[in-house]
Amino acid sequence: MTTLPVGDLVALASGLVAISIFGILTRRNFILLLIALEIGMNAAILTFVYFAAFPQCVTAATCHPLTGQAIAVVVIGLAATEVAVGLAIVLALHRIRGTTNVAEATTLQL
Amino acid sequence: MSGILASLFGWAFLVPLLPALAFIVIGLFGDRLRRLEHGGWIAVGAAFVSMVLAVLIALGEMASPDTYTSLSYTWLSLPANPTFPYGFSLVIGTLVDPLSSLMLIVVTVVGFLVLLYSIGYMHHEHGLSRYYAELSLFLTAMIGLVLSNNLLEFFLFWELVGVCSYFLIGFFYEKPSAASAAKEAFLITRIGDILFLLGIFIFFYVYASDGPAGLHWASSGFLFAYGNLPFLAGSLGANTPLLTIAGLCILAGAAGKSAQFPLHVWLPDAMEGPTTVSALIHAATMVAAGVYLLAMTSIFLGFTPTDQFAIVAIGGFTTLFAATMAVVNTDIKRVIAYSTISQLGYMVLAVGAGFAMVGLYHLFTHAFFKALLFLAAGSVIHAIGTQDLFKMGGLKRHLRVTGAAFAIGGLALAGIPPFAGFWSKDDILSSVYSVTGSHPEYWPFLLMAMAAVFLTGYYIFRVWFLTFSGDRIRDPTLPTPHEGPWVMQVPLIVLSGFAVGAGLLIFIPGFANLFLLPGGVTALGIPPTYGTTDILLSVLGVGLGGAGILTAWLLWGNGRVFQLPEGSVWSSARKVLVNRYYFKVAYDAVGAKAVYSVARAADFVDQFVMDGTVRGIEQLFSRISERMRRIQSGVVSDYAAYVVGGLLAVFVLLLLVGPYLVNRVGGG
Repeated sequence: MTTLPVGDLVALASGLVAISIFGILTRRNFILLLIALEIGMNAAILTFVYFAAFPQCVTAATCHPLTGQAIAVVVIGLAATEVAVGLAIVLALHRIRGTTNVAEATTLQL
Repeated sequence: MSGILASLFGWAFLVPLLPALAFIVIGLFGDRLRRLEHGGWIAVGAAFVSMVLAVLIALGEMASPDTYTSLSYTWLSLPANPTFPYGFSLVIGTLVDPLSSLMLIVVTVVGFLVLLYSIGYMHHEHGLSRYYAELSLFLTAMIGLVLSNNLLEFFLFWELVGVCSYFLIGFFYEKPSAASAAKEAFLITRIGDILFLLGIFIFFYVYASDGPAGLHWASSGFLFAYGNLPFLAGSLGANTPLLTIAGLCILAGAAGKSAQFPLHVWLPDAMEGPTTVSALIHAATMVAAGVYLLAMTSIFLGFTPTDQFAIVAIGGFTTLFAATMAVVNTDIKRVIAYSTISQLGYMVLAVGAGFAMVGLYHLFTHAFFKALLFLAAGSVIHAIGTQDLFKMGGLKRHLRVTGAAFAIGGLALAGIPPFAGFWSKDDILSSVYSVTGSHPEYWPFLLMAMAAVFLTGYYIFRVWFLTFSGDRIRDPTLPTPHEGPWVMQVPLIVLSGFAVGAGLLIFIPGFANLFLLPGGVTALGIPPTYGTTDILLSVLGVGLGGAGILTAWLLWGNGRVFQLPEGSVWSSARKVLVNRYYFKVAYDAVGAKAVYSVARAADFVDQFVMDGTVRGIEQLFSRISERMRRIQSGVVSDYAAYVVGGLLAVFVLLLLVGPYLVNRVGGG
């Protein structure tokens, strides 16, 4: 089994996070916003899973090899709930305002 | 009998309490008591009961001389501490002794009669419930003052009478002159009051630093107690500078209240108030409080020789100084006001020369005949509606009671025997004369007081002749005068009786007990001092007074109007007198220039430095927040951008700035 070098993994994860942040900051469509968020989450999951198998982690007394993978599962669950809530908000917004454009939902401002 | 009366001493607190209740009732419900003349009759009733109690207390004091009853309620008590090793307490209480029972008679009798007179005199005015409420409050405060058994309570009531005086001078507050006179009186007496308070502090400091006696005094609540006398009346004895300064501060307080030179300017202007107020507050009682303060201080705290000379100088000078201004005034009330200042000068003179009780004797007689003069003047004003002497004339045919009352008051004031003023004024002159042997520096002030006797006879009968003699009223437009109702005439008649007989009361053996202080304090002059009286001096005094009256008759009698020859030296002197020695102008100038510029500077600092700082800070924050609120766009992406920005900032700090700083500082 070939191992992915650490540098490559970090570059991949950073790229995903950058794409995600770019999406969050530039997209005005609520659904695209959620998708961008998911991409960011996946970058985090990827990192957790990768470092769980890292030798320094496996041999450390304070670390269990399954910890990273367990966290990955938790984050996936978290992402699923978050999307569920997010989609519910999208539906509500669409029903009230007739749009999914987040730039138009500005009633949070004072 | 004396036992029953003496048991009243413990109930002396009721005397001020009754007018206080009247004040509350009238103050709250006066406007609904139209049938009771807006509460006036309640005030009269309360004052009457107070008067009866006061007279009974005085009778008890006469029957059992050489006693004093001091009752206190401690309302604040501090435990012992480093500053006050025996603790510190504030008390409120009553002291019934000969001195206070004498003052009680004066305050309650004059107070009752003036309130009764007010029912008629004030009948046509508006705001009657306010008037009677304030007058009742004044009576409470004045009785409280004379009954005070400690220095701080005395000061509290002292301030309270000042406030009442302010209210009542400004009773006709719609009139700008009345409002400004009230303010003037308040501000000028305030100068004295502040110095008085300072004097109390210095006295306490001196006594407390002298040893445990002074500190015990603080722990007992600054009581006027005859048991303290050896210490309080100057066991320190020496003419120390601090004690002298304290005494001068007390003198300043007394001079403010009693309108002595140079704080005299407010009293003539205080005549803007109703005449009844002038009679009660600005003739008989409140202005005499200054003399009472000096007497109390000389008995319980003691003055140094320097202070005594200062008091004699102020008093003696004021007698003549005020009398000269009375000579040229054309306002019936103001002449009597100057006369009050002058007579208070006699009292101050006597107290300063070491004859406290003689001074209070004059206070006692003066209260009655001066109240009488004011009420008679009020009766004239009530009848014809003007205060200008040169519009009056020939009123004796219309106002027989008033004319006779004014004449009796005038004779008492001029010191003609057997009227009241003669006995006390003669007593003062002979007392001061008796110490000129050891104190030759008192001579000029005794001579001033003698000269003032002549002027007194002259100015008061100038008023009488201008008002009552002649065959017609000079201003024909004035209404036909008529005597006031019975409520106004009865006080005039009763006070006339006092003006005749108050001086003779001293020859009733029991009454003289009111001038005997308990505890063997005898060196303060017990009237009448006829044992040492120079009969020549008495004759001289009466002769001067009589000569004044004769001069007044020659110049103004039978409707004559005396006019100074054109261009004589006297007319420039007259101008100075009419302008009140330019004191008011000078004070106004000082007020306008010095005080006002200080006030403006303070105002500048207040507005621009203090307020400016506060406003600047406020504006800084409001501008910042005005900018800051724009980032609250409500757009989700913007908030996300702030989060990301914050995250980046944290990274920059942690990874770049943090290590850089750690390297620079060199920490671990």
